[in-house]
Amino acid sequence: MTPIESAFYWLEHTDLSMWVRGPSLLVFPLIVSAHTLGMGFLAGTSAGIDFRILGVAKRVPLPALQKFYPIMWAALTVNFISGTLLLIGYPWKAVTNPVFYVKLSMIALGVYLVVKIRQEVLNQPGLDDNKVKRRAKLLAWASLLAWGSAILAGRLLAYTYTWLEVGVRGGF
Amino acid sequence: MFEEPDLPAAWELWVRATFLHHFVADQGQWLWPVMETLHYLGLSLLLGTVGLFDLRVLGMAKAIPPSALHKVIPIGIAGYAVNAMTGVAFFSGFPEQYFYNPSFWWKGTFMALAAINVAVFYLSPSFHEVKALPAGSDAPFRAKLIAGTSLGAWIGVLVCGRLLTFYRPPFFH
Repeated sequence: MTPIESAFYWLEHTDLSMWVRGPSLLVFPLIVSAHTLGMGFLAGTSAGIDFRILGVAKRVPLPALQKFYPIMWAALTVNFISGTLLLIGYPWKAVTNPVFYVKLSMIALGVYLVVKIRQEVLNQPGLDDNKVKRRAKLLAWASLLAWGSAILAGRLLAYTYTWLEVGVRGGF
Repeated sequence: MFEEPDLPAAWELWVRATFLHHFVADQGQWLWPVMETLHYLGLSLLLGTVGLFDLRVLGMAKAIPPSALHKVIPIGIAGYAVNAMTGVAFFSGFPEQYFYNPSFWWKGTFMALAAINVAVFYLSPSFHEVKALPAGSDAPFRAKLIAGTSLGAWIGVLVCGRLLTFYRPPFFH
């Protein structure tokens, strides 16, 4: 074992890691359910705001949409915690899969755009300017694309890994 | 009810004879993950439209008139349609994995609750009451009850859907 493999082997045999991987229906499946629920509320709320910027439901006042931001931050918190637990449960499986880094990058981009859209679109009184409008639509499309890619990459994680644990090959 | 019989029941043989079953079950390894991804995108669209409308009725973002926000609902319906189609495909591919799975029946129960709730909302005076609400106003209690039921039911559908995988050996993704 290389030093890196030993470190991950150690992590995989901590009580917390073994608890996450354990057979209980109340642990791993519930962490995954919370992760999916957080995904739906974070990507979904962001997408709903994107659709408004792209011209759906035009009578919805843009600044008022900022009131939905706490939903997204709560969902992000749930997913950070549940995601960290899943990572502790199967750390080697994640870090040896390139798709995992694609997923993390897409989430970072999505969250960055959520912040950017608030600054440049929702919190922006001069929106009648055509230039601002074009930029707003670009941000909204980028946001939809980032979340779609994050969800695609996240789902593919279950089908693209090569190692389940250190020294234990996966089925792909 | 959750006990799988030794020989497949008549309904299962029927499902296994359909084109859709063969299309799903005989495909290479990529059709399933692609359909799952579509299913996840669909649920996100549903939560991001119907969910936001429910939250407005419950009192969040009151500066938005509910009638204006209601215009996003067709996107949620589109998400639901994607999920209904991919859902039927999942079931057709591996019917016994779902039928003999308690989580599947719980999911169905929450879906039925959501459907009844939708019918109550649009057929009772609640929809018109909510539609008439101007910006800044609070929804009547019965509308909030319906919105809360909607959120709870969809969360129930999602969690039971996610648990399908774990409820029944053999381990399915």
